[in-house]
Amino acid sequence: MRANAAAAGFDAVFVPLCVDGRNLNLSLEQSMGVRSDGRYLTQFDCAAVVLPSDGRPPVAITEEGQTNGWFTETRAAHGKWGRTMAEALLECGLERARIGVSGLRRGRVTHARATDGVVNHTSYAEVLRRLPNARFEDATEVVGFVRYVKSEEEMACIRTGASIAVAGIERMTETARPGLPAAKLYAAVMERMLELGSAYYPLALFASPLGTRGPRFENPPPDLMLRAGDLITHETAAVWGGLIAQELQPILLAGLPEAWKPVVDLQRELFYAGMELMRPGLALGELIDFVNGFGARRGMKSLILMHGRGYGNDGPLLTPTDRGSPELRELRLAKGNVWVWKPIAYSADETIEFSWGGCVEVAERGGRQLVPREPRMVCVA
Amino acid sequence: MRGVRPEKAGRPGGVYTQVWDGYSLAERDRRWSAVRAEAARHGFDCILVPLGDGVNARYLTQFRASCVVLPTDGREPIAVTDRGSRNAWFPEPRLTTRQWAEPVAEALLDSGMERARIGVTGLRGGIFGHVRAREGVVSHSPFAYVQSRLPRASFEDATDVLGRVRYVKSGEEIACLRLAASIAAAGLAEVRPDLNEPTLQARVLGRMLRLGSEYCPPELSASGIEINAVWGTQIAQAVQPFAEVPAQLRDAFDRGLEYLRPGCSFGGLVDALGDAVRLQSLGAGDDGPLVTPSSPAAIRGLMIEPNTAFVWKPSLGGLSFGRPILITDKGVQQLIS
Repeated sequence: MRANAAAAGFDAVFVPLCVDGRNLNLSLEQSMGVRSDGRYLTQFDCAAVVLPSDGRPPVAITEEGQTNGWFTETRAAHGKWGRTMAEALLECGLERARIGVSGLRRGRVTHARATDGVVNHTSYAEVLRRLPNARFEDATEVVGFVRYVKSEEEMACIRTGASIAVAGIERMTETARPGLPAAKLYAAVMERMLELGSAYYPLALFASPLGTRGPRFENPPPDLMLRAGDLITHETAAVWGGLIAQELQPILLAGLPEAWKPVVDLQRELFYAGMELMRPGLALGELIDFVNGFGARRGMKSLILMHGRGYGNDGPLLTPTDRGSPELRELRLAKGNVWVWKPIAYSADETIEFSWGGCVEVAERGGRQLVPREPRMVCVA
Repeated sequence: MRGVRPEKAGRPGGVYTQVWDGYSLAERDRRWSAVRAEAARHGFDCILVPLGDGVNARYLTQFRASCVVLPTDGREPIAVTDRGSRNAWFPEPRLTTRQWAEPVAEALLDSGMERARIGVTGLRGGIFGHVRAREGVVSHSPFAYVQSRLPRASFEDATDVLGRVRYVKSGEEIACLRLAASIAAAGLAEVRPDLNEPTLQARVLGRMLRLGSEYCPPELSASGIEINAVWGTQIAQAVQPFAEVPAQLRDAFDRGLEYLRPGCSFGGLVDALGDAVRLQSLGAGDDGPLVTPSSPAAIRGLMIEPNTAFVWKPSLGGLSFGRPILITDKGVQQLIS
């Protein structure tokens, strides 16, 4: 990170106090993502960091002066984060420095959904007031591109998380049946993943008749019943070592209609073909074009759907509504990237839509599933 | 929402996450009127709930995520919310896709607030709201942008304008709190000291989720567990030690129940029970007052009011025991017997 900061001409990287994701009330990803840079650099849930580019050790600020294996000493804010962060910057000799601030804006590979950034206002305004001669500029990408490539330890954590998520899906498959309250299905899956040691990350659940799309629930009401013919789609995420894995497996409470079979087959083919293409150095634009043109070559349609995996709100974010900006298209894949890969296949008239996916790492010879599974529809008749 | 299949009711799909939104229109009007009155009393032309203050935004809108401009003069508020969102309180909110700064600035300008005195919730921790967030909860970049778009307006903290209103519960809120307390009781029934931490969490949360609780993280320590069940955004908290509750702690708990009644001060509770006192208002999260032996005079001098709810959790020797309680006209009602 120091190297990235120095290359960008920053004297230091500053990760300020960020807003509380639970209070922010935005999406799951944004909730987990807001304080992710501090977590990444310190392993504390909530921390601010000053990392000078010249090789000096970083200074961490926590609420109570907590310590851990990485930081045997931190500055205690005791509620006065603005003052404490400013003092840390001043003690590092940065009163006239060019300071790179992470989280002021969204980035391509972190804070991907946080268009307006994640920084706490009152404490940051106090920092600006106390260092009037310093220059503060957005450095979200400086931190982000370090997080973009996972180490072996990080990869192992995501793999463990993915295996827990798969166990949650297995519990869902065993439990789902018509007449069951959705809340019971939800609780059964969450219970399974918590038993296996995942931190709490709400399952996102959709359940609606085939061909329709109901709302997304993170706590279904107890009187919402599953019915025969419902398609259950979900994002099942598990957290291990602070890193979030996500796996998907649609479950149909009926037999699979004939009209759906070619779409499911197309999605399976696309899933593997896309992985084959995911080699280090590939520009994301090439992957986008390949995926979005894949269905048409078979008389159907397809769209890319994927986003980075890591400490939360990781990019690149490619959805049917957020895909293909010039900045994203030129981004290159690197060995050690991880995303949840879940491309969408459509029938020619787009009345049938199928997405299946899970965590995939970029390896030398292409994408590799962290937990090998085969794309398909699970049918519970 | 209850009992209705949302896709049949014309709910939007896609990214919008459905949250409980069962409070009535009468409750909406009560909240808006009370906030307007409190804001006017403080001389604000409007209340702005900015990005970051999700708790107060949900209080005024029932949306999971929103920003709100509520003029004090009686006009309808403007809610800016996630794409796909609408509900009975706001059939036609202003929708946004991950961009909050510009729509919020536009909402203030459309409300004629370019030279106004604007009360902003969440800039600081208050006595009644965001009590542990001394430097507030507001997201910097969009708020700084809003300030730059309204250079002649003044922006001042109004955390306790909303906090004061949220502090006193309506009948609907009390009903939700009772339901949350019953879910917390079910969670407590799963607590067993012989379970390891992941299993304990799984059992307790699993039970509460089955009953429809929203998630609010439990706190686990070597000596006990703090459980939070949520219904209708009302959090009912209970604190259960793993060991048997010592007689002295039980006595402190009972003495507190005897003391707590309308017209008594929080300072009097601290005087009566000393170091054992831990009392916190219940609501949508991080509510106040938070009464401890070190509470400032501003909290100690407050009088206890009817229709307020607390978790009463005295602590002795590092061990806590706590239950949700409601203050009625006549005194205390335990919400978990």
